[in-house]
Amino acid sequence: MQETLATSTLLSVPSRSSISMQDKFSTAGQTSSAGPQPSRPSIIPPHNKSKGWNSGTKVHRMRRIIAEDPEWSLSTVPLLTELCIQHIVKNFHNNPILKQLLPEHQQKVLNHLSPALPLAVTANLIDDENYWRRCCEQRWPVCHVARHGGSWKRLFFERHLENLIKQFIPSTTDPAVILDLLPLCGNYVRGLRVDQFLPPVRLPPQPRSGELSDSGSEVEMEEPATDHYQLCDLVAGLSHLEELDLVYGVKDCGMNFEWNLFLFTYRDCHSLAATIKACHTLKIFRLTRSKVDDDKARILIRSLLDHPALEELDLSHNLIGDRGARAAAKLLSHSHLRVLNLANNQVRAPGAQSLAHALAHNTSLISLNLRLNCIEDEGGQALAHALQTNRCLTTLHLGGNELSEPTATLLSQVLAVNTTLTSINLSCNHIGLDGGKQLLEGMLENKTLLEFDLRLSDVAQESEYLIGQALCANREAARQRTLNPGHFMSPIIAKGPENLAG
Amino acid sequence: MNPPGPLGVLEEKEEEHLSTPILGPSINSDNPQERIQARRLRIAARLEARRREALGEYLDGKKESEEDQSKSNKQKEESRLKLNKLLLCGTELVTNIQVATDVRELRRRVEEEEIRRQRLEKLENEVKTSQDKFDEITAKWEEGKQKRIPQDLWEMLNTQQVHCAGLIEDKNKLISELQQELKTKDDQYVKELKKQSDDICLLLERMEEQVKHVMKTFRQELNYIEKAFEVERQEMLASNKKKWERALQAHNAKELEYLMNRIKKIEDYEKQLNKQRVWDWEEYNMIKIKLEQDVQVLEQQLQQMKATYQLNQEKLEYNFQVLKKRDEESTVIKSQQKRKINRLHDALNNLRAKYNKQIKHFQEENQSLTSDYKRFVTQFKELQRAMRHFALVDDKQFREIWLMNEEEAKDLISRAFAVDRIIHTHHLGLPWTAPDFWFLRNVGPISQQPRKSAAQILEEVLMQADEEGTEEAASEAESYLDLPKQISPRTTRKILMLLCDESGFLIESKLLSLLLPLEKNECYLLRLDAIFSALGIESEDDLYKLVNFFLKYRVYHSPSGQEQTSLMSGQEPGEQIDLEEQEEESLVEGEPEEKEAPPSRRLIHPNDVLKILEAFVMGLKKPKDSQAPVKMKYVRDNLKDSEYWEALTTVIPDATQNLWDALYTALEKYHLVLTQRAKLLLENRSLEQQNTELQMLLQQYLDSKINSELQVPPTQVLRVPTQ
Repeated sequence: MQETLATSTLLSVPSRSSISMQDKFSTAGQTSSAGPQPSRPSIIPPHNKSKGWNSGTKVHRMRRIIAEDPEWSLSTVPLLTELCIQHIVKNFHNNPILKQLLPEHQQKVLNHLSPALPLAVTANLIDDENYWRRCCEQRWPVCHVARHGGSWKRLFFERHLENLIKQFIPSTTDPAVILDLLPLCGNYVRGLRVDQFLPPVRLPPQPRSGELSDSGSEVEMEEPATDHYQLCDLVAGLSHLEELDLVYGVKDCGMNFEWNLFLFTYRDCHSLAATIKACHTLKIFRLTRSKVDDDKARILIRSLLDHPALEELDLSHNLIGDRGARAAAKLLSHSHLRVLNLANNQVRAPGAQSLAHALAHNTSLISLNLRLNCIEDEGGQALAHALQTNRCLTTLHLGGNELSEPTATLLSQVLAVNTTLTSINLSCNHIGLDGGKQLLEGMLENKTLLEFDLRLSDVAQESEYLIGQALCANREAARQRTLNPGHFMSPIIAKGPENLAG
Repeated sequence: MNPPGPLGVLEEKEEEHLSTPILGPSINSDNPQERIQARRLRIAARLEARRREALGEYLDGKKESEEDQSKSNKQKEESRLKLNKLLLCGTELVTNIQVATDVRELRRRVEEEEIRRQRLEKLENEVKTSQDKFDEITAKWEEGKQKRIPQDLWEMLNTQQVHCAGLIEDKNKLISELQQELKTKDDQYVKELKKQSDDICLLLERMEEQVKHVMKTFRQELNYIEKAFEVERQEMLASNKKKWERALQAHNAKELEYLMNRIKKIEDYEKQLNKQRVWDWEEYNMIKIKLEQDVQVLEQQLQQMKATYQLNQEKLEYNFQVLKKRDEESTVIKSQQKRKINRLHDALNNLRAKYNKQIKHFQEENQSLTSDYKRFVTQFKELQRAMRHFALVDDKQFREIWLMNEEEAKDLISRAFAVDRIIHTHHLGLPWTAPDFWFLRNVGPISQQPRKSAAQILEEVLMQADEEGTEEAASEAESYLDLPKQISPRTTRKILMLLCDESGFLIESKLLSLLLPLEKNECYLLRLDAIFSALGIESEDDLYKLVNFFLKYRVYHSPSGQEQTSLMSGQEPGEQIDLEEQEEESLVEGEPEEKEAPPSRRLIHPNDVLKILEAFVMGLKKPKDSQAPVKMKYVRDNLKDSEYWEALTTVIPDATQNLWDALYTALEKYHLVLTQRAKLLLENRSLEQQNTELQMLLQQYLDSKINSELQVPPTQVLRVPTQ
């Protein structure tokens, strides 16, 4: 293209053509020299020179004159800066030049950089969000940048690391694969969400008879061999880690299902405990769907006692019983925990009672989720008693806990007294008609509750409707309060945890 | 494991939830507009109530205006509530699935619990029974060991085998049962998985639907809100336009009115202007005529004035000439005068200089003279002091010499007297009497009596007056010795009393108050004392002068006051008596002046006292002034001295002296005789003594031892003289 244009113009106007030729040559020289030249090469000197230089060939070329191109202009000729930038982009892998350039040139370079560049080059050099966005979008079709603090770079590194961990096979994969990345991503990773830990591959794949009953015994036997990737080294290198979301399991196992794929061994547990204990920046710790039983929960929670930063603990979908719940209760009084999620565990009345005891004097916990446990009326009553003195809890989820009328009676008293609760979930219980009425009575005296879920809890529709009306009124009042200055609570914030849970 | 029933129930329940309590804006709504309308009404009512509650009752107009304004706001609020509800319902709808699964799971758990319990029970039973069987078998093994008979053993083994087979069969059965259960569980799990996928599909569907619906409703509401705003804007535009038109119309009407008014006014003004113009024209004409007449008159006057001016000019020219001449003269005179003035000035200056010099000179002279004077005064004073000193010394000396001489003289005189007495008594045998002379009693230099002060005299006078009443005749002769001859004490007293009464003003008020309690005489005394001190009367002489003055005054003024005295005489008998007495006294005294005075004496009227006093003071001042500086010291008159000393020399009279001379000569002769006799006697006595002495001497010689020793005793020798 350039060539043709050059020739055509060259034939039409010799002087101009000579300029373009000259220009081309000069750019070629520059590229060959590969040195950073002054960004705007002067055009006039070659023009003066060219006359003498071209005079001999003029006659010879005159014969091939074609019609003058009226659209020719100097602007169609790429600027030297453009060429330089192209060159820089081309050789960025070997010679990354970015910081020395002017801002607009930096932008151009970044726009043209390939996302496939090795991280070792780009990680600490490039901060541009657009580049990382391109990287992310190229690798993953769906990217929730909002879940990574709105930073594409953070997203890239977090997901990259997560992928690496997910694909890590202990004793097969070289741990250096992950640890090499550490100096590159250490400053950018703030959260890790790993929903898969692969177990070590047994080299001699034993021929399976297909009897599933054997697998359990085998797991028992080979348990020490099924340890997963140890996070200690990695977490120690991530200086800004705040969120840790782990699931010890295997995804998409399909027909290769084996029970031992989903084992959270004691060694895993100990190493994880040491890891989170050492990580002082950790704010959110989630360990879900990992078959954490009482003993493991106690090991983990013991390591979390008096943790300086921890705010959220999520141990939902595990096998935690009363002892684990008691440990969690102890944690409540020895930390600044704001959110505690023990949904879908096996907490029964004693565990709920110990939790209630801790809750009665707690001043930091905002949200407590005990969904799908079996605390029954005893535990529910204990929690209700605790809520009469608690002045901090705003969200309480007691769905699916076999609660019935006595708890509802106590809760209605709590509703009349408590002014901090904004959301209560009592769905999937056996509250009954009378309990519903009592709850309605309590609700009529309450002015702060914004959400009260009583679905599928055998409450009369009338009382449920009236409760809904009261909630509407409360929501309107809360909205007025937020519109007027000096109020802090808004229904949307209160709604947050539930949405996440759903 | 979960039957399909619960889900259906759940679904139904969900439907109920959706439909009944919250009038949810579900997708399959029959007539959304109607519901929206109902909701709007309700929301509006609630909003209104809340606003009232929050803000209280406001004025109606204000509320109306608020309503007008908040049409769009209302729409916004409605939309917001609607959307809120929609979101809430949507989330509920979506979460319903979760709740349903929860419930299902819960139920499953309960059932599972139950089944597990049963299974465990079953297993335990099985274990027990199998254990029993096993125990039985093991027991039999013991039994079998004891058996020796092979048949029995075989039999037993067979039975054991059968038993074992039974046990194993039981176990196998159990295992197969469990496996069956497991299979059903597997099936159930597959079903559950299917169901879960169904649920998830439903969830996705609902979510999508929800999203779509929410988007739709959001758009719709946005449209509504926009419409509401649009409508409001249109309304506002229309109303504003209307207002504007109305205002414009009003403005036009007003404009027209103003225009009409203006036209009318212009006409009026034009008329007025015309009228004014005509009137002005007439006036102008009149004034013009008048002015022309005035001009004619003035022109005539001008002519006259011109004539007079001509005349005056000539006169003035003449005057001017005269004045010029005079001026020349005056200049000449002026120059002369100037010269004269210059000269006089020179003279004046000279004189001034001289005068100044003179003044200076005189001042100097004056100064020197004053200094001289001062010196003289001091000298004079010193001199005076010296003189006084000397006078004192002289006086003393004089006195001493006098005393000495007098003593000497007295001594001599006494000797003379003694001699005289001896002569008289012893020699003449005559009685002798001592001569008595005044000068013999005198001691010291003869001096005049010291003058009495006025106060003393006063006292005396008053004292006399007191005594007078009782013993007139006796005292009079004595007391009057002290008084001067001219004035009788009574007169004096009278005058003084009069003075005292009349001139109380001279006494200080303090003194008067002090005097009140005193006796009458003392009172008078003190008063007079004060008056005299005020009048400047100090000495006796002054007092007498005063009294004399009074008397003289009366003499001079008597002719006028004669008649009065006659009248008054009847009234004052006491005075008359006094007068008579005074006359007697004056006769006794024999003073001619007093005699003249009496007739007019009583004429002193108390009113005249002041005049008299004034005149007296005036008169007194003059002599005082002249006398005061002199202040002559008391000068002794030595006339009497010589007389005194003469008298002293003539103490012994000449007759006695003659006597003495004769006696002397006789005694001389007697003395001579006596001396001769004495001489003779003395001679005789000395001779006798010589004789005795000689005798004694002889005796002595004779008695001495030597004589005996001597070859020749003197006695023998002497015998010769004796012989």
